[in-house]
Amino acid sequence: MSTSDSEEDSYNERTALVASEIPSVPSYQQDPDQPQPADMEPRRRTVAPEPAAEPPSLDRSAVEREPVDLEEEEELPLKYGAKHVIMLFVPVTLCMVVVVATIKSVSFYTEKNGQQLIYTPFTEDTDTVGERLLNSVLNTIIMISVIVVMTIFLVVLYKYRCYKFIHGWLILSSLMMLFWFSFMYLGEVFKTYNLAMDYPTVAMIIWNFGVVGMICIHWKGPLQLQQAYLIAISALMALVFIKYLPEWSAWVILGAISVYDLVAVLCPKGPLRMLVETAQERNEPIFPALIYSSAMIWMVGMANPARHAEPTNQDTGSSDEEAHRSEGSALARDWVEPETQVSSGMNRSYSTEDDLDEEDRGVKLGLGDFIFYSVLVGKAAATGGDWNTTLACFVAILIVSVAVRKTKCWRRK
Amino acid sequence: MNLERLPNEEKLTLCRKYYFGGFAFLPFLWLVNVVWFFKEAFVEPTYTEQLQIKTYVKRSGLGFLLWVAVLTTWITIFQHFRAEWGEVGDYLSFTIPLGIP
Repeated sequence: MSTSDSEEDSYNERTALVASEIPSVPSYQQDPDQPQPADMEPRRRTVAPEPAAEPPSLDRSAVEREPVDLEEEEELPLKYGAKHVIMLFVPVTLCMVVVVATIKSVSFYTEKNGQQLIYTPFTEDTDTVGERLLNSVLNTIIMISVIVVMTIFLVVLYKYRCYKFIHGWLILSSLMMLFWFSFMYLGEVFKTYNLAMDYPTVAMIIWNFGVVGMICIHWKGPLQLQQAYLIAISALMALVFIKYLPEWSAWVILGAISVYDLVAVLCPKGPLRMLVETAQERNEPIFPALIYSSAMIWMVGMANPARHAEPTNQDTGSSDEEAHRSEGSALARDWVEPETQVSSGMNRSYSTEDDLDEEDRGVKLGLGDFIFYSVLVGKAAATGGDWNTTLACFVAILIVSVAVRKTKCWRRK
Repeated sequence: MNLERLPNEEKLTLCRKYYFGGFAFLPFLWLVNVVWFFKEAFVEPTYTEQLQIKTYVKRSGLGFLLWVAVLTTWITIFQHFRAEWGEVGDYLSFTIPLGIP
């Protein structure tokens, strides 16, 4: 949805949901009672009322809906079965493949020319190991503090309903990603393969790529294309991080971000948690924050695009980089917590249940997770030079993400 | 975005917006239009707006093919004559290959 429509959208969603209770739309009435997708837990099946066997009378459906809802909420953790996890493996794997392929072929992203981001001012070209370690820790502290500040800033903006500002910020970020970084990337690929290319053609390519990307991400577009774009910008962002973060700092930052992520999400006063709670209080969908969705959620009579996540990043030395983190709570509504970060955005993956009217229960994963995993694997590929290392990292990430997901579901239960 | 759940008027509006958007030097947008609405326009059973959607899809397809022809011609010309154009060729070039041709 266009960004300025988000508030209207929320009303539409609400009224749409209310409208779904009215018997004049019997087909929608029946949807929640329809048989669940085949891989749902068997327990769920027996609990749900028999579909299609009963005529959808208003009272009955409405009454049946309530116990179904309660049970739905209780059984939510059980629904996060293998299928959902697999649905996320594919895009994450794709992103990692793109990053690793680029790292291995385009040498630009592994060349260190001493340039660093302003968020990691301490150099790693030191004389002793101790100094180097100290510098990386200091870099991490700076990076994490910037992330925390940006997150809190975003939460404050959201709390005081500065939606326009946030939308503008997101749009600017995605513009930067889609145009500037892809331009850089294209240039480097051409140089690597020693191809001649002229400005008019490049302009056409970048213009088309960028504009269609903006349309798909911020407005309406086919789901697969939107997913492809999100994967593409995650990969671009990960590549920039791999290039411009010094070695040791990168690893320490990755570790610190994991810890911060857990803290921010699970602590009662954590900014992410506050964001989610505010969003829930207001019963609002989150603005086009950066979430990858494997399926569309559907409200009655409304085309509702999935939440998207876009990490934003700007280039070397010149400006800020922001990555958005999103987080959702595993409740009946699907919510996403956007978080602004100034680093490889870390997102906790989560599965959320979509609303009653949706048929295709998709899974959502914040783009920060994409970036995080891709940076990990990309760094392993860049430093190791050995495919075993890369593969081992990849497998480890898959296992860890499954484990984390299960833990979070269990915890939220 | 799932087209199936949209009401027909909205499908038409979307198709139309994509079609008009493509005039801004966006053949990719036209391609997306064609691919996305192809099923709607040609496979689905008829409904009121389908005829208009069909025209938009056809025109988008034509526009896309036209752009492909233009770009292919230009790229072929450029790649072939780049070295001979000397200074102009370099000025137009985004990347110049190294080594001896």
